[in-house]
Amino acid sequence: MVHVDIAAERLFSIGPLTVTNSMVGALLASVLLLLAALWFGRRASLVPSRATSVLELPIEFLADIVRGTGGTRWRRFAPLVFGIFLLVANWLSLLPGVGTIGYAARGADGKEYIVPFVRAAAADLNLTLGLAIVSFVSFVGFGIWANGVRGYLKELLVAEPAYMTPLLTPIHVISELSRLISLSMRLFGNVFAGEVLLATMLALTTATLFLLPLAFVVPGIFFVLELLFGLVQALVFALLSMTYITLAIAEERQHSSNDHSGESPDTAAVAAEHGSA
Amino acid sequence: MDLHTLAAGLAMGLGGIGPGIGLGIGFSKAMEAIGRNPEASGTLFVPYILGLALTEAIGIYALVVSLIILFAT
Repeated sequence: MVHVDIAAERLFSIGPLTVTNSMVGALLASVLLLLAALWFGRRASLVPSRATSVLELPIEFLADIVRGTGGTRWRRFAPLVFGIFLLVANWLSLLPGVGTIGYAARGADGKEYIVPFVRAAAADLNLTLGLAIVSFVSFVGFGIWANGVRGYLKELLVAEPAYMTPLLTPIHVISELSRLISLSMRLFGNVFAGEVLLATMLALTTATLFLLPLAFVVPGIFFVLELLFGLVQALVFALLSMTYITLAIAEERQHSSNDHSGESPDTAAVAAEHGSA
Repeated sequence: MDLHTLAAGLAMGLGGIGPGIGLGIGFSKAMEAIGRNPEASGTLFVPYILGLALTEAIGIYALVVSLIILFAT
């Protein structure tokens, strides 16, 4: 059976700080992104070359989604930044050497197991919780920035018919707080389970000689699954953060009759055109 | 009988029923909408992925609970 550790394993300590293997993984993801940014930035020109146009595809895709679902345009940098970083952090477990190259340690029951040097960054609850906290602070912050502290608290704590307030207030507050837990747990669960799944499938198919040919096929299938799920989870984290921010900002304006905040800019533009024609 | 293993198995097994049904219903509705109006697939994509991930998250919570039971207690 494969040995899995929910908490990231400690590699060494610098003074009072412990460095775990997922921190090394996050560092690796940042270095990879930096190198990619430098390499692609050098080739930037008005007419994109083949390599840069390949990179522009996912960026355009994300930007379209953000423009359509979000409100005004300048808020798009946050979800894109989330999504791209998470993508590399999610896919780290697929790189050769991550999770496999390590040193031997002796477990509690006396069996030997491997402590890997590098672990997928998002497979650590600390990272996902940190990102969820960033998302939480940003949507509370945007709500306060757009509506003022009184407006934000009023939207949160006071329900429309006044007698429903003691019933709905705890529900509202808990649902807002539970966004922290759901965001972090969703990402952590997906990436960690993907790692465990890959390790288990490898262990299963290499257990006997008879199953060895399957060891090339079956982990390959789960590899593709992990690729897909990493992508979807990064996208969902970014989209959900953006949706929460849009909700927090638009909450006050929903009570006006000429509200166009929920529509995409295209339909709003068409409506304005028809109105003026 | 090892109650830990039983608990972990039950947590994941029972916790997978709800999200499975929910995802199936959601996907079938999305397919219905696309079949009715093939051009809607662009508009449908983002809310569908969002709904998919939100529903699947419940199953992931069950998985995390079962992993915690197995490996951390």
